[in-house]
Amino acid sequence: MKNTSNKYLIVALLIGLAFHGTSIFFTLETTYDALIHLFFADHYAHSWFEPWNYKWYTGFTVMSYPPLVHQSIAALSLIGGLKFGMFTVAFIGIILFITGVYRFSLLITSNRTVAGYASILAVFSSSFVETLHIFGQLPSIIGISVLMHALPEIYLWLKTGKWRYLITSLSLIAVTVTSHHVTPIFGMVFFIFPLIGMVIMDHSKEQVHALKDVTFRLFFTSFLALFRRIVGFGSLSLVIIIGCILPYWINSKNNPITQVPIPHGSRDNFFEITSSGLVFFLIPWGILLILLPYIFYRYYSKRYLFFGLSITILFILGTGGTTPIPRLVLGETAFNILTLDRFTLWASIMSLPLFGEFSYRFVEGDLKLLIQDRFGAVYHRLAGGLLAGLFLFMTIFTMSLGYFKPSQPQKIKMLPIINFLNQDQHDQWRYMTLGFGDQMAWLSAQTNAMSVDGNYHSARRLPELTTRPIERLENSKFKGVEGIGSLQQFLTTPEKYNLKYIFSNDKFYDPILYFCGWQRLRQLENGIMVWEKLNVPPLSSILPKEDVGTWQKLLWGIIPFLTVLVAFFLNLQMLFVHGLKTKLKPLPIYFSFKNKYSKFSKNILRITHIWSIILVLIIVFGLYQFYIKNESHHSPENAILAYYDALDFKEFEKAHRLINPKSDLSISQYMLEVSVTDGLLSSYAKLDAIDTEILSQTDSLASVKVNTFWITPLEKINKTYYRSLVKVEDKWYLQPEAVNVDLPPDQLYSDNNTNYFNQGRRRITTEQTHHEDVLKQPVLEILTAKLVKFNNSYAIIGEVQNIDNVPADVVLKGTLYNDDNKALATYSAKYHIKHKLMPKEVSSFRINFEGIAWSKIKDSIPKTFNPDEFTPIELEEQPTKFNLQAAGNVSGSDLFKNTSVSISGINEDHITGSLFNSGTDEVTIPQLLISYFDADKNLVWVDHLFIKEGIRQQRKQIFQYDMLDNSSLKIINKDMDNCFVNGLPNKNISDKIVADRIVNHNSEELQSINHPKYKFVKLEVNTYIGNPN
Amino acid sequence: MSFKYLYIVIITMTIIISGLNINQDKDHNSYSLITNFKERTAGDNITLEFAFQGSSDVFLYCSNSYGSIMLRPKLGKTLLFEIPKSISKKSGILNWQLHSDANLMSGQLYIRPKSKIETLETYIGPPSIEAGGTDYTMLVIVPTDNLDNPLADSTKVIIKHQFLETHKRDIIYTEHGFGYKNLYAYKENGRMLISSECLGLNSKEYDVNVMPAIPTNFKILADRIHSYADGNQITTFKTSIIKDRFDNTVSDGTFVSFYITNKTGHKSVTSGTTIDGIATAKMIHPDQEEQWTVKAYIEGIANSEPITLNYEQAVLDLNISFSENNRLITVGPLQSFMKQQVPNGLNIHLKIYKDDALVHQLIEQSVDGFGHFKLYADRYPKGTYTVEIKTAGLTKSFADIKL
Repeated sequence: MKNTSNKYLIVALLIGLAFHGTSIFFTLETTYDALIHLFFADHYAHSWFEPWNYKWYTGFTVMSYPPLVHQSIAALSLIGGLKFGMFTVAFIGIILFITGVYRFSLLITSNRTVAGYASILAVFSSSFVETLHIFGQLPSIIGISVLMHALPEIYLWLKTGKWRYLITSLSLIAVTVTSHHVTPIFGMVFFIFPLIGMVIMDHSKEQVHALKDVTFRLFFTSFLALFRRIVGFGSLSLVIIIGCILPYWINSKNNPITQVPIPHGSRDNFFEITSSGLVFFLIPWGILLILLPYIFYRYYSKRYLFFGLSITILFILGTGGTTPIPRLVLGETAFNILTLDRFTLWASIMSLPLFGEFSYRFVEGDLKLLIQDRFGAVYHRLAGGLLAGLFLFMTIFTMSLGYFKPSQPQKIKMLPIINFLNQDQHDQWRYMTLGFGDQMAWLSAQTNAMSVDGNYHSARRLPELTTRPIERLENSKFKGVEGIGSLQQFLTTPEKYNLKYIFSNDKFYDPILYFCGWQRLRQLENGIMVWEKLNVPPLSSILPKEDVGTWQKLLWGIIPFLTVLVAFFLNLQMLFVHGLKTKLKPLPIYFSFKNKYSKFSKNILRITHIWSIILVLIIVFGLYQFYIKNESHHSPENAILAYYDALDFKEFEKAHRLINPKSDLSISQYMLEVSVTDGLLSSYAKLDAIDTEILSQTDSLASVKVNTFWITPLEKINKTYYRSLVKVEDKWYLQPEAVNVDLPPDQLYSDNNTNYFNQGRRRITTEQTHHEDVLKQPVLEILTAKLVKFNNSYAIIGEVQNIDNVPADVVLKGTLYNDDNKALATYSAKYHIKHKLMPKEVSSFRINFEGIAWSKIKDSIPKTFNPDEFTPIELEEQPTKFNLQAAGNVSGSDLFKNTSVSISGINEDHITGSLFNSGTDEVTIPQLLISYFDADKNLVWVDHLFIKEGIRQQRKQIFQYDMLDNSSLKIINKDMDNCFVNGLPNKNISDKIVADRIVNHNSEELQSINHPKYKFVKLEVNTYIGNPN
Repeated sequence: MSFKYLYIVIITMTIIISGLNINQDKDHNSYSLITNFKERTAGDNITLEFAFQGSSDVFLYCSNSYGSIMLRPKLGKTLLFEIPKSISKKSGILNWQLHSDANLMSGQLYIRPKSKIETLETYIGPPSIEAGGTDYTMLVIVPTDNLDNPLADSTKVIIKHQFLETHKRDIIYTEHGFGYKNLYAYKENGRMLISSECLGLNSKEYDVNVMPAIPTNFKILADRIHSYADGNQITTFKTSIIKDRFDNTVSDGTFVSFYITNKTGHKSVTSGTTIDGIATAKMIHPDQEEQWTVKAYIEGIANSEPITLNYEQAVLDLNISFSENNRLITVGPLQSFMKQQVPNGLNIHLKIYKDDALVHQLIEQSVDGFGHFKLYADRYPKGTYTVEIKTAGLTKSFADIKL
């Protein structure tokens, strides 16, 4: 036997490194996971032995993820920086994967050429490309690769019983488990168990010389013969799996993942959510789908029988929620925790040896002969071209997916943010990012400042986070009610988390930030808007942490690298012998179980053909369905759906193509009309659902009632449109809607305003701000405050006035107490207040006491989206008293007050009227605060209304407010003794500054209403300006 | 009786003294302080010397405002303790205790601050106060030596301030290491500049803003282009210059609400903030004949007298025509007070009733003096309808319109 290098393997390595090695620089940083691993690596680079990390989630332990890959990146980062480390590890991963597939294929097929083929195919395999270039799962890749390297060693140990193989296999298992914990556990089940089966089969075969003579009885005796080796290996590897990352298991036990499952695309029904089907099924399987009959046929042959069972289970589990089987097999809990895409990945990797085998037989083996014999050489070439084309198409398609459908927002330049955080002690507070995607991890890695958010959801600790199925607050808009609800809690009570700065990369969140009392600080040069909240105390210098024993820290810091070193030295000899061919080595024992590739089964060829035809039919049918559903002029419903879809995505040209072409509405006019409408609905809403109801339809005319459901950051909006459609040249079109033609009286007008600027510190110094540069807190006065019970929820309502001479930002914090003065709940005013008050301005307010929504994990989570969802807090005892803390801080921003409100009609149910904007800024979102009074003109309740459309300058906007129904309302306590302003008793302040206050001063200006319970209302306006001049 | 107490005292003393003697007899150790000064100046070298008999295994525990320290003696014939600079440079009382296993003796000495001034530590607050003579700001001065010790009490400090034409000097003496002065606001608003002087050293300049007090009642007036209710022009409301009770103009930005009540009792509210005491607020004209009563408030504090404004009807007549089998309703020409077209955007309400039930309600805006309503055949099938049109306070109704 000549001992030559395997040309194919070398080619695979060269191509693999060239192909992935170059493209990785364009893909890896935009993947889902890579930057998270980079963040962990940054942690190890700074504190190798200290597992506690303060930067995310108000502190978490990195012992929640196996450390090897992160530590490797960290070690390499000392040479050339974090990214150098990450790319180097990725290179190592690529090499390990290709060689791993080679060794695994060699083990399965005992044929060096076939294994070479498999290694080349592995380079381009779409599942590998996806895992590396789209998901960026480096630990997973390294884990499975090392596991594949371990498989031949395990085989040899079981077959020969030589101790050195036991040791090498265990050393490789150790490396696997320190890089990825799930891989060896499931690897045991899906790779090693079938391998054991194969060994027993081989052992049995040796005794009867032909595989078909192996009986169950013989198999069983072989099993008994090998039993000690199997059990020995099994128990030792269990010890390794537990021992090498013992701190991880201890941590998992101490902090069990008791959180609401986070939805994952791999658990979807792939027929319903086709995008998940594409990403988690079609792409990883790729061309292997065509070869499924061959793969199953081969794996169900007697020797590989257990691999056949294994791949069948993997295949089924990988289908996620498409069939009920995975849920039944795994059970509800495991199904909701595991991401099922890994099963498909392993199945596709398991198929690679057979893919190689098929290719070998197709290119130069018996299959080629068979096809040429039956269909001619031309057909063989065509089929080959087609298969190769499809294979490459899948690779390129997968590779470019991140380019055409970016999973991440545009790359953000982090330097301005890092500089901002380093300046002026901004890192003494926590920050949060919005709309950064996974790039938030990269920001965290670069700054010392801490975030309340994080990107590794298994490590979340705050109940506000763990009770919601959201991975990050950061992208909460994609997570519906749970997301925005969770975000709201952080925005309303930021003092609790020392959260002062928010970096927003997404305009969508602007309204919620504004109405929760945040203000814009400035736009950084990378376009990121910085929002800040006043009255937030800085972080204390000592923060709590959960410490673990020193032995755990040492184990965690030393063992992973040690496993690599041990594995390296143990396998060193083999590496040299294999790589450099220094000496002739006997072939491994599995080479004695070679397949003969002499006669390709005709049936399999036939089934593959039929299967391919079925696949083609399915694809054609799918495309046809897709076309019918999406042909926008096909029916009135289609036209409506397409139109609102286009509006939702701001594709105005596409929307214009659906407008009646005979209506003489030019695209430029249409764009103009669209562009002048601003407001909650047109600028901040995302279409959640739409349903259409045909009111009447003739051949050429149709009236459609369109119920649209929009998600906005503030609330869920249901809006009903009545649209007319016409049929022109057999195509349905929408009639254009009337636009507001109101003509403002002035072409040019002026407006005078008082502007304010706070210098901050007047000296350029890094010292603490000089005391004389600290502004006095504006004095507020709480005019009224009472604790009321409305239906079943408690609230503090009242009025607050800025009695100072400077504008104030107002923060109101209420606490409820019971008769025994036990504090029951604390919350801050959210939407029901004007957060910015001019001197002497009054605002009504209401503080709702929100519980942590769905605080019990078992509580059913509503399926529908409602950002305005309110969960009243569950109080164990009856609140009877309250404490109200008002804090004023000088603020010069968001002081637009030029909106007036007029009531034009009142009936039992609602109030209609209009808002008029007399200022020079366009009002993006107007908000009405409605205070209700009883017959004696006592304030009893405060409500609010967001108006969906904005108000342009010198224009009116009509509104309709639905009054409260007759629900129960009870005033519990009106005692204002426990009201404090800037820490001082409210009464002292009011006595000092406005001693002769005129009580109920404007009570004659209250609007009387016709309501059984409430007799008067007062309207106030609060406005959000999206684009201040 | 009194002898009884005397006996008790004597017996007790005897027991205590004999007890002490027994103790001393046991140990044969005695210590006594040689150093006899009771005062030192901060920064001096301070050593405490003790004569002793018996064990020299003792330490000195020193404590002052800066902190505490344990010292080992330098052994010679006497025990010599050198107080480190970090302790000896802080003025105030320095307590010491000599310890072995037990507390042997204790004492204290006073460290004087230096008499030469180095800096004036000055604090002032709040930085803004209200005019009127009751609100005040407090200036606190700590004259310190070069070791950062406050100078000795009763050091003279001169406090100077300037306000408008006033220049004043006040003399105060420090007590407990600092001196303070409450500076009361004057009746006028303005800026008070403040500084202080001590032993020839002058502080930097501080300023305190004296802000106007709360506003008093004021007047309002309205200003408009014309008096027609065209629903388009804008009426501007203005206040007189709003002053506080000391005749200071209120600070810029003071918020004034203008409440408008119309004929039917519906309320409108507009608002403005003052500049140089005058607040300006705007409101769009009504679109039908109207009488407004306007009153302005600075809530809880001051208000104006109400004023009344009348708006004349601008659109006098409503022309309506039906065409295209009554399916197109044209409203107009809508003419304003000079028979000109009403400006675009006048709202026209259409209500359609069938069999006395409201079927649909439409709002259109006038364009070039006309409003058009199209009744589509699919929405309004053939039949008889009642149509009601309302705009600019005018209503017209048409029964039995056949579509």
